[in-house]
Amino acid sequence: MAENKQVPFLEVKDLVVHYTSEGKEIHAVNHVSLTVKKGKTLGLVGETGAGKTTIAKSILRILPEPPAHVDHGEILLDGKDLLKLPNTEMQKIRGKRISMIFQDPMTALNPVMRVGEQIAEGIALHEKVSKKEAEEKAKEMLEMVGIPGSRCRDYPHQFSGGMKQRVVIAMALACSPDLLLADESTTALDVTIQAQVLDIIKELQQRLNTAMIMITHDLGIIAEVCDEVAVIYAGEVIESGSLEEIFDHPTHPYTIGLFGSLPDINSDVERLSPIAGMPPDPSNLPQGCAFSPRCPHATEACRKAKVALQNLGGTHYCRCIKAGKED
Amino acid sequence: MEQPLIEVKHLKKFFDTPKGTLHAVDDVTFSIGRGKTMGVVGESGCGKSTLGRTLIHLYESTEGQILFEGEDITHVSKKKLHELREKMQIIFQDPFASLNPRMTVEETIREPLELSGKFKKGALMDETERIMDLVGIDERLRHSYPHELDGGRRQRVGIGRALALNPSFVVCDEPVSALDVSIQAQVLNLLQDLQEKSGVAYMFVTHDLSVVKHISDHICVMYLGQLVETTTSKELFAHPMHPYTKALLSAIPSIDIHNRKKRIILEGEIVSPVEPKPGCRFAARCPYATQKCHEPQQLREISPEHFVSCCRVEDINS
Amino acid sequence: MAKSATASASDIKMRRKKEGQFSLVMKRLSKNKIAMTGLVIILVLFLLAILSPWIMPYAYDAMNMQERFSGPSFAHLCGTDDMGRDIFSRLLYGARASLSLGFLATIISTVVGMVIGSIVGYFGGIVDTIVMRLVDILQAIPGILLAIAISACLGSGFMNTVIALSIGGIPMTVRLLRGSIMGVRKMEYLEAAQTINCSVPRTILKHILPNSISPIIVSVTMGIGNTILMAASLSYIGLGVQPPTPEWGAMFSSARTYMRDYPHMVLFPGIAIALVVLSLNMLGDGLRDALDPKLKQ
Repeated sequence: MAENKQVPFLEVKDLVVHYTSEGKEIHAVNHVSLTVKKGKTLGLVGETGAGKTTIAKSILRILPEPPAHVDHGEILLDGKDLLKLPNTEMQKIRGKRISMIFQDPMTALNPVMRVGEQIAEGIALHEKVSKKEAEEKAKEMLEMVGIPGSRCRDYPHQFSGGMKQRVVIAMALACSPDLLLADESTTALDVTIQAQVLDIIKELQQRLNTAMIMITHDLGIIAEVCDEVAVIYAGEVIESGSLEEIFDHPTHPYTIGLFGSLPDINSDVERLSPIAGMPPDPSNLPQGCAFSPRCPHATEACRKAKVALQNLGGTHYCRCIKAGKED
Repeated sequence: MEQPLIEVKHLKKFFDTPKGTLHAVDDVTFSIGRGKTMGVVGESGCGKSTLGRTLIHLYESTEGQILFEGEDITHVSKKKLHELREKMQIIFQDPFASLNPRMTVEETIREPLELSGKFKKGALMDETERIMDLVGIDERLRHSYPHELDGGRRQRVGIGRALALNPSFVVCDEPVSALDVSIQAQVLNLLQDLQEKSGVAYMFVTHDLSVVKHISDHICVMYLGQLVETTTSKELFAHPMHPYTKALLSAIPSIDIHNRKKRIILEGEIVSPVEPKPGCRFAARCPYATQKCHEPQQLREISPEHFVSCCRVEDINS
Repeated sequence: MAKSATASASDIKMRRKKEGQFSLVMKRLSKNKIAMTGLVIILVLFLLAILSPWIMPYAYDAMNMQERFSGPSFAHLCGTDDMGRDIFSRLLYGARASLSLGFLATIISTVVGMVIGSIVGYFGGIVDTIVMRLVDILQAIPGILLAIAISACLGSGFMNTVIALSIGGIPMTVRLLRGSIMGVRKMEYLEAAQTINCSVPRTILKHILPNSISPIIVSVTMGIGNTILMAASLSYIGLGVQPPTPEWGAMFSSARTYMRDYPHMVLFPGIAIALVVLSLNMLGDGLRDALDPKLKQ
């Protein structure tokens, strides 16, 4: 297919990030490589503390440094390494070429500023337009996310949770960015509102041909929105591939465990089969495969040495020594 | 028919707010059998948590009747309430907020036992240990403080505290929604194990439909304080009748990537439950709404054990 | 299932014995060098105050008119005052009055304030409205005026001064604790306490106070310094501790007349007061951190 030959628009190569907290080194992101294609959506799925948000923040370069520190890696946007750009250059990229939708719409909006102004602010910052034009554009953006333009003079508290999140989306899309980072952006919403918001995001993405990274812990959302999936565990990509590859043939025991933990609306099971144990402490990761302490199939070899990503055909990669060898 | 453990008849709970009366729970009727699980689903602000708290008398009900083991407990004396509370308990949503940060695991679990006055010193320790074991908290964690535990373990402590006195009814207020998927499954299984062992009945309040389907025998669907539909879990997911239930079910993101459902995207905004107009509160967003929907609605039995509060249910589902 | 779930590799420390809140706090505090310095200074000052009759080189009221206004020397480490009394000895002995005034008055006002504050914070509603308006009235009067008015009514003397100073501090504590309790009151563990039949006094003592007390402890340490300064003002206008009993504040204010010519007379009492306030603040800051249960050890 032609799509497969597409040059990746964003490429994260071997990214390593750690935090220092009270003398301890917390290994948040360990050698993560990802690619996102133009107009496509990559889903990052994983549990709390897996390092999903850290990856997104590294891309935008908004990690608090210290305590965070990028040790290694490249983040290539159209071939240009973002990690090497001077701050002034980066500021032009943030909001203009890459923007982020945060989890909590309540804290992402300034409560004492009219929503129209907030959207216009971003536009005025990146595009050479007058204040009036920026406000016109802001109104347009609001209408695009299904909020009447007349409400641009309202304050955030006058909106419901779902509408606030739509305002945040309008803000993020105001400068038609090439890459959108959505960090659990619908988690705080009710399902019917979530459905609305996901629809809006998807529709706008298609219209603007935006690439997107969707960060969530909800496999359902991944299934609905994403084209490609990367499963993150303890700061590593443990399985990646196209949506079909991951959902039809989950291979890594953790991915299988995630599906088993999920009460599915379409099937009846008496008991769920959860993954035993807890995610590892990122300041004290296991020596071998990070999942080995919880893995039902772990062997001595798994505990001893790190496991490399193995290709299972197509774009499907899995970080498990047993992958492709059994069944 | 066997007498249900808890029966709720036309229960109402209103709050006075500066803007007017908030109808948090408005005319809700249902019953829960011994050892059964009633799921209560709805979106934020639909009154599901208020309903649970009203049942166990954390809030005083405004109107209606609550029967527990056949006895009217709507208004009870302080002494009676103390007795009742040993039989009715609650598990909270937020394992961060529901545990006293300055009490150790052991102290938290021991407190209800201590306050019941049923245990002597030695027996108190034994019983505390038994409960810790029951909910799967390691002995080595007994002197840990809540902030030293992860969410799953914290929630286990909360479950231990609620089940300490062997209650026959427990309100579970979104007990797993703050947890990660893999931990969530562990806690759900624990709740089910405990139910099998002790025959406790749950009222399981949640916004997560897949969870509620998994754990419940019966389900109530609430919308802005009103009960819109109630039936068995199987029936609800097989034949949802109320337009809101239909929309809700269709909105759940499914992991089935090959059979995409047609989603019903709701239009319109949620009306306020403060000083609401009579009639169906969903009418403002309902694609089938007519003039008749703005009159008060009745909860009617459409098919055996399947109750729906919608005047157009026959037209929609024919 | 449940068993295997918890038997995972985990960072959670095993604790053989319950560590009480106090020992935990002390352990954390002992790691904070600044706070420990503050604590040591305070303890040394207390020790000096207690031992002062035996270690001071001169009697605190021994006048020597020949050596009036002499500067610091080996004979008089901090010099002498307008009556030729040894300032060093007076400072040592004066620590007794100053420290006990400061600590006692603050502790009384805190205890009373806490009782009122927790009742108001817990019950809220009409109780809250009435008590808080009374507190407003009390707070509308400048602290020093209030203290002057009260001690003018009660007369001078140590205990009366303590009472006069402590009343002014009550509103602050009530307000602080009430605010702090308001924050705790919505927590679910209080609802949980209610469902397990926890009585009101027990709820307040076990569940509310331990979780809302840290701002109070900090305000106590800062309040003591304030109280010492206020006691000085009282002495200045002839209320409070009566001469010839030395008291830092009184020494400081009476020396102001001679500040231009004999600055050492203000300097040393000033340093003493500043030292107490500073070390208390250092200790207070450290305590606030040590009291936060969420802080990792």
